[in-house]
Amino acid sequence: MKMSPYDIIVVGAGHAGVEACLASARLGLKTLVVTTNLERIAYMSCNPSIGGLAKGHMVREIDVLGGQMGFAADETCIQFKRLNASKGPAVRGTRVQSDKQLYSEHMTNQLTRHPNISLLQGEVKRLILEKDLCVGVVLHDGSEIYGKAVVITAGTFMNGVMHIGLTQTQGGRVGDKASVGLSNQLADFGFSVRRLKTGTPARLHKDSIDWSKTLAQYGDNNIYPFSFKSERQLKLPQIACYLSRTTEKTHEIIRANLDKSPMFCGNIEGVGPRYCPSIEDKVTRFADKESHQTFLEPEGLNSNLIYLQGISTSLPEDIQYEFLKTIPGLENVKIVRPGYAVEYDVIEPTQIWHRLETRTIRQLFLAGQINGTSGYEEAAAQGLVAGVNAAHSVLGREEFVLARDQAYIGVLIDDLVTKGTNEPYRMFTSRAEHRLVLREDNTIDRLAEIATKFSLIDTMSVDILMELKKRREIMMDKLQTERLFPVSETQAKLARLGTSELLKPVSFEELLRRPEVSCIGLCELGFEMDMDPNVSEPVEIEIKYSGYVKRQLELIAQSKRLEELRLSETLAYSEIRGLSTEEVDKLSRIKPRTLGQAQRISGVNPSAVQAIMIYLKGHKKLKELSLVGEGGSIS
Amino acid sequence: MLNDGDRDSQTICAVSTPHGVGGISVVRISGSQSLEITRKVAGFLPLKIESHKVYYGTIKNPYTHEDIDEVVVAYFQKGRSFTGEEVLEISCHGSPQICQSILNTLITLGASSASKGEFTYRAFMNGKVDLVQAESVLELIESQSAKAQKLALRQLKGKLSQHLEDLEDKLIWLMAHIEAGIDFSSEDLDLVSAQVVNEKLVEIENSLKSLVDSYRVGRIMRDGVTVALAGCPNVGKSSLLNLFLEEDRAIVTSVAGTTRDVISGDINYNGLKLTFLDTAGIRNHTSDIVEQIGIKKSREAHSEADIVLFVFDLLVGIRPEEEELLSQLMESNIFIIGNKLDQVKEPTLAPGFEKLMRYMNTSKRNLFFLSALDQSARPQILKEISSSLFQADMQDQVLLSNVRHYENLSKALSNMASCRRLVSEGLGAEFLAIELKEALIAIQETLGKRFDDQVMDRVFKEFCLGK
Repeated sequence: MKMSPYDIIVVGAGHAGVEACLASARLGLKTLVVTTNLERIAYMSCNPSIGGLAKGHMVREIDVLGGQMGFAADETCIQFKRLNASKGPAVRGTRVQSDKQLYSEHMTNQLTRHPNISLLQGEVKRLILEKDLCVGVVLHDGSEIYGKAVVITAGTFMNGVMHIGLTQTQGGRVGDKASVGLSNQLADFGFSVRRLKTGTPARLHKDSIDWSKTLAQYGDNNIYPFSFKSERQLKLPQIACYLSRTTEKTHEIIRANLDKSPMFCGNIEGVGPRYCPSIEDKVTRFADKESHQTFLEPEGLNSNLIYLQGISTSLPEDIQYEFLKTIPGLENVKIVRPGYAVEYDVIEPTQIWHRLETRTIRQLFLAGQINGTSGYEEAAAQGLVAGVNAAHSVLGREEFVLARDQAYIGVLIDDLVTKGTNEPYRMFTSRAEHRLVLREDNTIDRLAEIATKFSLIDTMSVDILMELKKRREIMMDKLQTERLFPVSETQAKLARLGTSELLKPVSFEELLRRPEVSCIGLCELGFEMDMDPNVSEPVEIEIKYSGYVKRQLELIAQSKRLEELRLSETLAYSEIRGLSTEEVDKLSRIKPRTLGQAQRISGVNPSAVQAIMIYLKGHKKLKELSLVGEGGSIS
Repeated sequence: MLNDGDRDSQTICAVSTPHGVGGISVVRISGSQSLEITRKVAGFLPLKIESHKVYYGTIKNPYTHEDIDEVVVAYFQKGRSFTGEEVLEISCHGSPQICQSILNTLITLGASSASKGEFTYRAFMNGKVDLVQAESVLELIESQSAKAQKLALRQLKGKLSQHLEDLEDKLIWLMAHIEAGIDFSSEDLDLVSAQVVNEKLVEIENSLKSLVDSYRVGRIMRDGVTVALAGCPNVGKSSLLNLFLEEDRAIVTSVAGTTRDVISGDINYNGLKLTFLDTAGIRNHTSDIVEQIGIKKSREAHSEADIVLFVFDLLVGIRPEEEELLSQLMESNIFIIGNKLDQVKEPTLAPGFEKLMRYMNTSKRNLFFLSALDQSARPQILKEISSSLFQADMQDQVLLSNVRHYENLSKALSNMASCRRLVSEGLGAEFLAIELKEALIAIQETLGKRFDDQVMDRVFKEFCLGK
């Protein structure tokens, strides 16, 4: 059976797949989504929450770039928290717990209601290739579907194997079977495929828990929704999470049963994330720590399931029972689903371009865990970028690439395609060297214009964003031009605010720079400010930290010099003196776009970058390092 | 510079020992064709040559078959030599003619004559030395005194690099803890306390401060010390200059205002280079335009000198003009010299002597009475000058002598000072992280561990590459 061709075929409907198909559909392309289970669209297979440090940043970026994740999370939020609220503005991160079922339903509705999206349940067995061009996919029943571009967002499903104790089951998630064939075909084509591992904790029945022995943790009262389209009012009732801790007894039981752990007896070859260790790992590696905390998080308003954050495990179910019962509150616990580990195939991400197209197969795009990342937000970000680029390649438009100083998404993708990853890659604020300018509060200032330029958002959204931007500019202008004079009434008010008197007239901006003066304080001094925190907060932060922001911008300008030096894809690294064999190998493989990217490749030393520069200067090939981006890239 | 791109693939050669006649001279040849070229003149080299072994034989001109010299040839295989390339060192007899003859032959056979610093440049490019070490090789080659040589050698051995790498480690440790506190704040980590962070910050700052402070001494060791003679006309400055230089450099007359221009001369004392500047005597009322210009130059010389020797006439004592000059020199490292001791009985009775007290250090070790005509005064003053510059324990200390290092580390130091301020103001950790990052960049740039095209351009100007 041969079906009519689509513009874009998206394989998978997880967090990456959903953003990918919505992005291409928004650009007007006929998009097909193929998934093995239509009941599990945008399903939160692990923790029931969206955002977090650095991840919250990406959710806001996705939102301004037209993506759905932020809005869906706002709509289904059952607990809101701003993490690191006491720290500086750049490292605050929004995290919400979402009702898992409602989140999935929200996304399902988005897909089913979109006129450009078709949904199909099925397993993709392999790609249809015409030499190095991908033109479609073959399903489990042998049917062929043709498309102009294919986006693969296979998550943990490619050759997925689940481990509970020493028992192994084929599958990418409990209840869903693995997809076999695709990664083998890619490996046969010459792709380097590697094995990663991740894990998830047990789900507990909420009625089996003695909540009195736990500590309730409530969300914030001040709400800063992810999406610029959301109202500042949450739709759903808010719930608490509950804190408890492991005990010495817990650790004893785990240690005594390590021989039944697939991680410790060598059954798992895949590399797990260091930043998200299993409880087996924790008690082994940090043996002198007496207790580890765990948050008991409800999976939804109407769900009986409790997610046990921090206790991911792949020990056998009876051992899980045994050690869980030693945690206060869980003495009579009932496990609904035990924790498990899953191993899966990923494609070494240095084999894809920044636009997420593979380097060797044209019109084939990869996004999400298949590229070695971990996390819903990392997946969604790539899904969006892959969806836009797949659509753009079909439409013959320029590629969509974000730079490291524009967005965390830019950092994410540049890290992946430049450095690759040895473990599931998660975003951290420390990965962004331009952290102070990549804040949650200024996402609109950073990305609204790009979203407009690439037609990623509709005109109504453009209007909302431009309106917000304009109001920020007006407030900034007012702060800079309106002045306060040293009259006695003012001096008295200043004293009440706990700040020193004026010696000469000053602008409100100068006053706001004082650490003890806030925007609210300015209101008491007669400043009429925009009361919308979406307007006032970024303006206040911009002013208060302008000194450091300026320095960061200077650093960016410096590194830009190297970013502007483009390297030809055909540069013969083997001819350059002073490069080690390893460096020649890596540079030839990754083909950095710029000297700046070359410098970031792990294993490429600064002396190598000097050598390249000197070689190019010597061969007068600097002209080849054109300053104009190929295809008008905006990086 | 850097225009001839193929330059780096050429095999280069040069005489690596000082010019002139010596017992032995060494001709070094480096590059992929070193062995191939050398074999053509040194037929005695075995087919299976071993690295780090020496071979004895006679060098011949391959065209005329005439003997050039009896030599010893050392072979260093690629990857195990100073430059990282295949290197041969030919030790010949130390005659300029023999060296030149060997060089000419090698060049005829395809080697190129090495530019200044080119071996070092290659060593750096091949990762054999770090930037600080590469720079110290250049300084070693150019050093003008024993002290400068010792300092450069110390840096070549990596003493400064080690010290900077130690600082780099400490900074990275601190940054890692601060970043963990930001990115894993909700994950129940055992983070270091604020007190430990503070202690580390102070430790790094102090370490940087002593390095930056050492630049004054380091620079003096490298470039030598400038000593200006200051005072009113006709107190005997030019006679003192002649005393220090041990020659009649300046014209000495009894006419006030004889010295118009700044006259200078160098000496070498205990491995330290000293440059003495004789300046026009300062007087407020002179209608002579040439003398006025001379006085202006004098003031410039005083402010630029490392040490000022203020000279007065014991017969005349301290006049108001001299008091004024002294107060202008308050910032300088100053020695006060009462001249013409041979003509007075009791120098402390000189008129206005008590006015000097406030310009003297407590030990009065910067006050001398002497006669410029008495040779024995010379060693005494030179010794005092030298010991005022160097403390006894400085011999083995890590010192900065390169202005690039000084500028970078001064920057890092100011970052660390900002850290202290940030902590006291309670600003967020991400700002601390920015200061630490900048400090780290400054240190890594010093070591050449970080690529910056502008820094590289500046450094390689000194290497004088290409032709």
